[in-house]
Order: sequence, then structure tokens, then C-alpha cells
Amino acid sequence: MATIFRYSLRRFLGQILGWGIAFGLIALYLMVLYKPMITQQAELKTLFDAYGETMMAFFGGTTDFLSPAGYLDFTFFSYIPIVAGIFAVVLGSGLLVADEEKGTLDLIMAHPISRAALFWGRTLAFCAATLAILALTWLGFAAGVPAAGWDVSAASLLLPHLSLFVVLVLFGAFALLLSMVLPSRAVAASAAGGLMVVNYLVTSLARVNERLEGLNNLLPLKYYQGGRALEALDWQALLVLLGVAALLMVLAWWRFERRDIRVSGEGSWALPFTRRTARRRAQRA
Amino acid sequence: MADPAIVTQNLTKSYGHVRALQGVDLEVRRGELFGFLGPNGAGKTTTIRCLLDMIRPDGGTVRVLGLDPQVDPVAVHARTGYLPGELHFDENLSVEKALHYLNALRGHKADWGYIRLLSERLDLDFRMPIKHLSKGNKQKVGLVQALMHQPELLLLDEPTSGLDPLLQQETLRMVKQAATQGATVFFSSHILAEVQEIADRVGIIRKGRIVEVAETGALMRRALRRVRLRFRDEAPVDALASVPGVTVLSAGDGLSVLLQVEGEMDALIKVLARYTVVEFETERTSLEEVFLAYYEAQA
Repeated sequence: MATIFRYSLRRFLGQILGWGIAFGLIALYLMVLYKPMITQQAELKTLFDAYGETMMAFFGGTTDFLSPAGYLDFTFFSYIPIVAGIFAVVLGSGLLVADEEKGTLDLIMAHPISRAALFWGRTLAFCAATLAILALTWLGFAAGVPAAGWDVSAASLLLPHLSLFVVLVLFGAFALLLSMVLPSRAVAASAAGGLMVVNYLVTSLARVNERLEGLNNLLPLKYYQGGRALEALDWQALLVLLGVAALLMVLAWWRFERRDIRVSGEGSWALPFTRRTARRRAQRA
Repeated sequence: MADPAIVTQNLTKSYGHVRALQGVDLEVRRGELFGFLGPNGAGKTTTIRCLLDMIRPDGGTVRVLGLDPQVDPVAVHARTGYLPGELHFDENLSVEKALHYLNALRGHKADWGYIRLLSERLDLDFRMPIKHLSKGNKQKVGLVQALMHQPELLLLDEPTSGLDPLLQQETLRMVKQAATQGATVFFSSHILAEVQEIADRVGIIRKGRIVEVAETGALMRRALRRVRLRFRDEAPVDALASVPGVTVLSAGDGLSVLLQVEGEMDALIKVLARYTVVEFETERTSLEEVFLAYYEAQA
């Protein structure tokens, strides 16, 4: 498992650096921007009031956007689960199935490693890659604390990242599970990505529409704290999200242990409508 | 006595409505070179992938080196070298790094000196990135990784696919050498000449069923052969056609005749002794003809 973990992490290096450095630089830029913004708080308040409640709901529903927690949430952590979620969903859906579709999994699995070792080695590498990206993001925020003039410790800045980490791992695990049961990585990534966006919309709109609260209670972003975790981390919510992510991983593992490894389309299946489309295309050709 | 290297009993596997294996019974002895013949889609790859627990059969039993691959796949893989029919590597690695990685997956069991030796025999450049390799060169890397840990059992799915004739010969030599050193070799192919060249026994699979398992020599002796004859006088077509096992394929210009002979030649030669034969030419029997005969007979 250690070999699989190391090798997978090395493969993710480009993505870790790409996403991590980009987020880190954005984080630093936002921190440097804080002081100039605070000097214009009256104008900003007028502007944000003009946006209206619904618009602001999509930025975490924050009203105290000039406190450190509110500022972090409004400028970054409220929407970043969707942006970083793309990374999580793409990586999660392709963790095993990308190699299966490329045909490289066949050779790897002919070596003396168990399916469990392969699955958990790669899944842990995905978690480590997510952690590394968020560590670079945290570095950006931490480096910018003096410029922002906040009385916030670097350690407490970790808390919103922890909240984000858990939700990203959950999205990745969900995409991984879908990739184990759906016919292709593309279908799994699209389905997981689509549901992630629906989750974001429902959770955002539930802040202004009480009727969505019931549905929202079932969605992971409801329990995501974002920047507000800076003030007090809700450990219970964090553990619930972590538990659900672990459950999704175990289900994906269970399925991986029992399914055939496909090669060049062998043994794969198609959704009824995609099969009909393929048949029509074949007839036209 | 040691268990056979491979035993399958009534192995079945379906993909939806497609019945890929319909009760495959096979036994491959330890140390033998077994050729597994069949056209594309006959079930060769499916059988091999069942042996490695990459796909789970719907029914039947499998034993590889005395082990059940579904119960102990790691032990089976540790003692097996596999060359997939559809060979793909991580394209971003160099040949050396790819082999290092695969050796690491084997717990560094393969001797790096032996890996170099195999690579030199195949004229493989270690520094080349996999993505810049031709199909033939990728196949060489595949062969090296299958042989590098000197496995007890080699499962080779179309091992010479994509190689030029010289490399095909070198590959077959390496496979034969592995067998000489005690490995059991189970290799699938639709190139009959190579099976004929190296296999001790041959299994023929058709539409997911084993239609024949026999010693290569015995199979060839039962094979059809073509005999081209030229007589000084008019060819005795009727007399030739009445010989058991002989079919007249064409009678040509009246002096020449092309025959197909099944089994021994003795009866034909005794009939020919009554005539003046100017030319007598037989085409070498090949597994190809045996193979085609099976397919034509059972189509």
C-alpha cells in the first residue's frame, strides 16, 4: 500500500502545485486587500445592501464581512467548495477508473497487491493531495495576517481549512463511489459535479427560503462552516461529515472488491439512453 | 506429484447477453508450454483474466498453482508473470522508472541485474519515456516486466503482437528459455505459426468453449495436407477421389491435380504407385489448417 500511496501522490504533484499555489496566492492577495477594504466599509456596506439578501446568500449569507471570520467566509470559503470541489470530483472519479479506462490498471493488478491495498493506497493519496493543496492555501492566509493586521493565530487559521478539507474529501469519496457503479468516469464526474452544484444552490437558497431547510439538512454543505470556523469549530458537524465521507469510501471499496476490472470496454455497461444513441450512430455510420 | 499449474472446470462468464465462456475445462501441467488458440472474441483474454482474478466467473472453478485466485490473488500474482493483450503503461514514466515501479509492487523481488540482461537482449533503451515508444517497444517492456521475477507461471496474452519478425523470434526464444528453466507457460495467440513452433500442447477455443486440447505434434499429424501432383498421362481423378481421406480440390489441365489429404498418406501412395507421377509436392501441414478445419467444420 505504501508503494501505491507514494506513487499516486507523485502523480498528483502537478495538481497539488497548480491548485495549491493558485489558492495560496489568492489567499495572500485577499489578506493584503483587507486593510484597503476596511477604509471603505461604509461604501461597501451600501454596495452589499444593494445586492440584496438572495445574492449575499451565495456568499455564505455573511453580514459582518469585515470581521476576520466574516471576511474569510465572504471572500473565499463560501464559494471555494465548488471551485476546489472540481478538483475533488475529477480526482475522486478517476482515482481507479481513469487507469481502468486507459488500460493501465490491468497490469498493476497483475502484481502482488490486494485490491484493498490498491484502493486505500490511492484513496489516502487523494486525501493527502487535498491536504497539501489546503496547506499551501493556509500558508497564503497565514503569510498575509501581518498585512491584514489581524489578531489571529496561524493555528486558528487552520480551522476553516479543516472544515473545507472534510467537505472536499466527502465530494471526492462520493465521486469515487459513483465511478464504481456508473459506466464511465465521465458519467461519474458529471453526476457528482452536478449534485455538488445542486447542493451549493440549495444550501445558499435555504438561507433565504425556509421551505428548503428540510432538504438542506440532508446535504453536506449545510454542515460546512467555512470561514465561520475561525470563531468556533463545530466538531460535531465535522465528525458527521467525516463519518459520511468514510462511509462513502467503504461502500466504494466494497464495490471495487466485487466488480470486474474492465479492459478496453470489456464487461462495461451503458445507460439505456446512451446505448440507444450509440446504436443510432452505428446505424447512421 | 505437484498440482497442475492451471485447472479450470466448467468456467462460465457472461457480459450481459454475451456468453464469453460457456463451460471452459482446461488443465495445464507444470512446466509445459501451452498454446491457447482462437480468433478474436473466442474467449482467450477472458479466460486469462479469470485466472488472475481480474474478472469474476459466473460459475465453475479455477485453480492456479494449486490456489484459488479469488481467495488468494496476491499469492497467485506473486508467482505469476503476466503480459496483457492490451498493454498500457503510465506514459509519463521512463522505461527504467516504469520497471522500478512494477518491481516495487513486487516488493523489489526481481534482481535489477537480470532486468538489465533481459532489456539488453531485447535492445530496450532504459532512458526512453514510455510515451515515445513504439507499440513494439512497449511490448518489449511488457515482456521484461513479465519475466523479471522469474515466475513459476507465465500468462502471456498475444506475446508477439506488434513485434517485427526478428523480435518475434527473440521473444519466442525467451519464452522457451523460461520454460526450459522450469516455468509453465500459458500463452494465447491467433498466430498459429508461433504456437506450432514452441507449444508442447495446444488448446483451441471457439465461442467460449474448448473444442480441442492435444499435443501439438498429434494435432499436426491429424492435420489436412495439400498434395499437388502431375502425371505423365491423364490424371486418374476418379481413382484418387475414391481413396479414403482424399478430396480432389481441382483437376487443372487434365495432367495435374490438387488434393486435400486427411490423416496418413499411405493409401494415396499405394494408389499412385499404379501411375507415372512426374511431380509430387506436398504443402507442409500447419496448425493454421487444423485451426481452419475446426472452424469450418463447426461453423
